[in-house]
Amino acid sequence: MAEDEYKDYLAARVLTENKPVTYRLLSRALKVNVNVAKWMLFDFQQKQNAKKPNSVHATYLISGTKRRTQHTNGVNDRDGMDTAMRSSPFMSSMPEAEERTEEPVKTTTIALVREEELEKTRGEFQKEASIHIYSLEPGPIENLNVLSSCNHEMAIDHADPMEQWRTYGSIHNPYIKRRTAKYTPLTSSLNSNAIAKHVATPPVKPDAMAQAKESEKPVLSRKGSGVENTSGRSTPQPAASTSTLKRSDSKSGIKKDKTAGDIFKSFAKSKSKPKEAEKPQESASAPIEDAMQGMSEDDGDADDEPEVKVDEEKNEAARKVREERTERLRKMMEDDDEDMPDAPTGTELQAEATTLGTPDAIEPAEGESIVTIQNGRRRGRRRVMKKKKVKDEDGYLVTKEEATWESFSEDEPEPKKLKPAPTKQASTAKGKAAGKKGQGSIASFFKKA
Amino acid sequence: MARKSRVATPAAVGASKVQHLHNRNFKTSPPPSPGLPYLSMEPPDGDMLKGAPFGDAPYIPSRNPSAYSPLHTFELPKGTDKHYGQQYADMYFLRLALLRKAVKQKAEDAWSDFELGQEKASFVERVLDVRQGQLCWIVGTVYMEMALKPNVLDDISKEHWIAAPPPRETYVSSGGQDEMMLEDESGRLRVTGESLNSHYVTGCVLAALGTEQADGTFQVIATQYADLPRQPQRWEREDSALSRAKKPKPKRERAGKLAIISGLEITGVDDDELSLDLLLEYLTGEATGPPTQTEAAQITRLIIAGDSLSHASPILSREDFAIKKSKSKHYGYDASAYNASPAERFDTFLSDLLPTLPITLLPGASDPANVALPQQPLHTALFPKARLYAEPPAKSNETIHGLDTVTNPWDGDIEGYRVLGTGGQTVGDLLKYVDEVESLEVMEMMLRWRCIAPTAPDTLWCYPFQDDDPLLLKDCPHIYFAGCQDTFGKRVIEGPAGQKVLLVSVPKFRTTGLVVLVDLESWEVELVEVGVVQPQPAS
Repeated sequence: MAEDEYKDYLAARVLTENKPVTYRLLSRALKVNVNVAKWMLFDFQQKQNAKKPNSVHATYLISGTKRRTQHTNGVNDRDGMDTAMRSSPFMSSMPEAEERTEEPVKTTTIALVREEELEKTRGEFQKEASIHIYSLEPGPIENLNVLSSCNHEMAIDHADPMEQWRTYGSIHNPYIKRRTAKYTPLTSSLNSNAIAKHVATPPVKPDAMAQAKESEKPVLSRKGSGVENTSGRSTPQPAASTSTLKRSDSKSGIKKDKTAGDIFKSFAKSKSKPKEAEKPQESASAPIEDAMQGMSEDDGDADDEPEVKVDEEKNEAARKVREERTERLRKMMEDDDEDMPDAPTGTELQAEATTLGTPDAIEPAEGESIVTIQNGRRRGRRRVMKKKKVKDEDGYLVTKEEATWESFSEDEPEPKKLKPAPTKQASTAKGKAAGKKGQGSIASFFKKA
Repeated sequence: MARKSRVATPAAVGASKVQHLHNRNFKTSPPPSPGLPYLSMEPPDGDMLKGAPFGDAPYIPSRNPSAYSPLHTFELPKGTDKHYGQQYADMYFLRLALLRKAVKQKAEDAWSDFELGQEKASFVERVLDVRQGQLCWIVGTVYMEMALKPNVLDDISKEHWIAAPPPRETYVSSGGQDEMMLEDESGRLRVTGESLNSHYVTGCVLAALGTEQADGTFQVIATQYADLPRQPQRWEREDSALSRAKKPKPKRERAGKLAIISGLEITGVDDDELSLDLLLEYLTGEATGPPTQTEAAQITRLIIAGDSLSHASPILSREDFAIKKSKSKHYGYDASAYNASPAERFDTFLSDLLPTLPITLLPGASDPANVALPQQPLHTALFPKARLYAEPPAKSNETIHGLDTVTNPWDGDIEGYRVLGTGGQTVGDLLKYVDEVESLEVMEMMLRWRCIAPTAPDTLWCYPFQDDDPLLLKDCPHIYFAGCQDTFGKRVIEGPAGQKVLLVSVPKFRTTGLVVLVDLESWEVELVEVGVVQPQPAS
């Protein structure tokens, strides 16, 4: 199995991504013995350079005994600090051994060397115990320290560290004892933390999925492609907003192979995730009716497809609603902006949607979030309303809302129960307005204005 | 794993190709000269430059157990039982009281029938009772009066300084106006003599033979010190424990090797990473080929002798303090200045190593432990990952198979041999008193003086011991190492009663890249040098 996998991996890493790879990284990525990984590196280097000379550059690790440059004590002259050997002993009455002719201490040298200096360095060795390729990289590297980054990239193997010798071939010590942590293993480094967080894909209950699918069927049949199916990754929708696309991308990347490079990439991406996720939520305040207007939109690029028909009435209503919201936002800014960043959850939206008297549009049952609590971490998926903006044929911007599944994990706060006061206010002000309550933020206000 | 069965045939097919590659890339071997054992290419083969088919990974033997039984000589009382109100004078009193008998005995053996011009040497109990012109010998503690030696009174008056004096590389002043005195409970006597020059330091107890001159100084002819104490037999503690329990002695396997490193000085920044990685890979047996890996598998324990982290001491050095002071004006502890990355990096290093190698960790001068000797173990809370390999501190104060954080100095039995080690501050401080002396000689003299930190508490911070001084040597060790030295060195010294001690001065890994291996069966010392050949600029 690993026979060809390593070629693909190395080709992708070295030739495509232009990144160095060490035998250790390779062994961790493919789960092979480190010594086999060294052979793989050599094999790959030979074949690539046979195809195209100098396409792959190597560093070597030599171990052995170096030739002594002087016949004197090889230890003292190592660092050039010849401490004068005093002819007289330290203490006059010291029972001094006869003039010690210090026999040279056996020294094994382990040297990492680029292929440019390989021949010269090998010449310095009197006896070469072993040699292997340490790393491959697309071209000569100026600073060998970049190789240590490979070790940072090594995917954190959550398997029992006491069993890793079987896979990777480090020296086995059967006597070491390891306690199992009573607490959830706290990965201290930033990297591992982030990885743990984002790799955690919530376990999707199959029945919940089925339910979600079933419930959207009537919608589809009634309105054609009116409402987007948003049941997450299992049926990725092209119309889903770019942010969701990106996210699901990076996640599946992690799932596919756990190589560090991908994890890092996804880490870099997912760093921006909170912002991306926030945006749609912030702006997810479109009136529900608009969402229910059979606006169809087939592909991602919404602005190119203005074939949405919205009757004047609804447009008017939407405008009114917008104005009202502006008003309310202003008020909110004045007194209390504390709860603004709180993103509305699917449950809330769901409840509101049902009060609006369009119960057949969205099944209340599917709005629940699926939460699993694992090791004190909450992870799961929940349904949220996302807002989309489309330009209609009159050139008006129309917002519509659609339900999307998004996954969340422990770092997000428990969805806050809405404060009763704003609910009251909103619902009394206008029945329709209920849908947008608590969702606005100053940012989106300014964006629109 | 399914590959296994299929290897046999492709290996034969691929053989010619492998041979071809081999010839092209491996230098043709010169004929083996008679003196040099030439690298044999029989399996396990160290030449890892071969391509597909891969076959199975070579077999590397497992590690043997490490017979390890730490002593807790240098552990201080915990919490409120630890007092700092005592006077340091008690330490000198105690030291003299405990060592006087042994020194006096040695002096008596040497000088009881010593005659100089028909005058027999006699013993004088108190240094102040010496009469002018009388040939006699006295026992006392050395005190060095040196102009450049830090003085606590100077510290008190330092508000009047315009600039603090630079830290001293040596306390020896070039003018030669340093004075040596011998003191006991009664007082001090100024001593002079050829044999004294730069051979003794403050705090060691010795006997001096000589006469008092007209100017009141004591002219010394010869000196004696306590010399090595009794040395326990190998396996003495284990065997006596077993015989008490009426159990038969177990059959013991051939002992493995002990690896000692010091001065990792992890900074947490990237540029020291690579050699640390190589060290890790060597010790776990991942790097290099099967011959070297098999040798690495003989290591059964790693001792880290101090200075694992750089600049992590809770008390800043003068330079660090000056830097910090100039940078910011904060009152109290500045949490934002704390940098966790060195400790995290070290934790990762330890936790990567621990599944395959038990570790004894001594703190050093730059580690986040208390600064006064004996330094207490680094708390395992510093190492969230590596601590899983240590016994919970509440349960046990030692870990046999795993991470054992210990004191500095530390002693214990490894493979039956008594091992005594320090993080090197004691040696480093003593070296400031003397000129042109190597670490090894200093270490030897410490053992012979039976005091492993003679300069404490004068120039070395130290806990004020009251009733017992663990820094005095009670049992002679078999192996004595000192970490964080400038150079590597090893020597076997012998005592009057046939004691044999292996002295090892362990250099800093950061500067030398050296790991010291001690074969615990043959006492053979080897070095492993881990390094990177720096790229030459392309010509």
